Amino acid sequence: MPHHDHDHAHPHPPIVNKPDPVPGYYEIMETAVRELLVEKQLLGAGEIRRQIEVLDSRTPALGAKVVARAWVDPDFRARLLADGRAACEEFGISFYDDTRLIVLENTERVHNLIVCTLCSCYPRPVLGLPPDWYKAKPYRARAVKEPRAVLAEFGTTIPDDVEVRVSDSTAMVRYLVLPQRPAGTDGCTEEQLASLVTRDAMIGVITLNPERETVP
Amino acid sequence: MNQSENLLKLLPNDIGGLPADRVERIDHLLEPWEKRCHALADVLDFHKIINTEEKRRGVEALGSEMIGKLSYYERWIAVFAIILFQKGVLTPDELARKMDVVAARSAANEPEKVCQ
Amino acid sequence: MFRVGEAVTVSIRFPVGHYRVPQYIRGKRGAIEAIMKPAAVNNETEGFGQNAGIKGYYYRVSIPLCEVWTGYVGSPSDGLRIEIFESWLERS
Repeated sequence: MPHHDHDHAHPHPPIVNKPDPVPGYYEIMETAVRELLVEKQLLGAGEIRRQIEVLDSRTPALGAKVVARAWVDPDFRARLLADGRAACEEFGISFYDDTRLIVLENTERVHNLIVCTLCSCYPRPVLGLPPDWYKAKPYRARAVKEPRAVLAEFGTTIPDDVEVRVSDSTAMVRYLVLPQRPAGTDGCTEEQLASLVTRDAMIGVITLNPERETVP
Repeated sequence: MNQSENLLKLLPNDIGGLPADRVERIDHLLEPWEKRCHALADVLDFHKIINTEEKRRGVEALGSEMIGKLSYYERWIAVFAIILFQKGVLTPDELARKMDVVAARSAANEPEKVCQ
Repeated sequence: MFRVGEAVTVSIRFPVGHYRVPQYIRGKRGAIEAIMKPAAVNNETEGFGQNAGIKGYYYRVSIPLCEVWTGYVGSPSDGLRIEIFESWLERS
């Protein structure tokens, strides 16, 4: 965003990284609504800017750290599975909304997958904003009806003797999948483990087990 | 269930189990205005000016054509405007005039004011 | 209130304007897996701007996918988990 915060008085145009493209109709509407609400003092001027910073601070790297901690610390894992939100807050992740968090543990017997068929509920405080495919019709329509076919499109094959469990978020609870720790990582540090954890594994569309992955 | 009845009973976003295409792993980096729109949604909810559930209900009320043709954040900002009119927080005329001001300012190549 | 493990059926009805119980689970039988606490306002009324009022419980309900879909392709143990507000659940 362009800034013009130096105080010397000479009339030059503001320095910007690149010229802003002409805003479209909806962008103009967004600016107009926001400015009117600020003018009416219904929103504080800095609140949107602060919330943008909060949104920017949430990425899958945060969720990955939670997962790695759960892998190395059995007591933390137990607290995380008992109350996902409380354990994340203890870990320093604030929840900026009223949602609860249930952490779903993948095991030898169960593979979890999360979806929101009605809209785009997602564990935003821990993973950031969802990818577009998560919000689009194919995933939302099919994940609850043919989860194994959807998983196959992500290159994931779950054996028949493993239960596929689909959680459809509709209200105040959000879900985070705790993937199985990959084999051969006994010598890894917590930081190294966190670097192995991906967003898609925490949604449950992939595993971190190479044997269950194929090229889609 | 007849056709017109079903239009009212089945919300356009209630799509669990409907036939759909293969999942393509699409994504995009949010435009600055889209991120501002998301932050606006959160702040409107914090103040309960428009709660999250009202936003969802408002999106459903746009109907299937608009849901299909508008992008995700286009739907959100359209809904915020409509709900703010319904609540008497803004008037349609006021927003139209403000949009003209914003458009004229942008056309004059003034830097956009972000939350100043 | 329902107990964990209790068998329930999701009501079949058709609210106008807003709902949070998708059509694909209406009339399906499942079991209470967990009670979501604390109690909360029904989000179907929240959708009309009511931020306070009578509170109730959401339940995490477990429904086998072969109960949800006739001809489900997958393992018979595959399942769905979904939160449903108490007003939508009937003992079965």
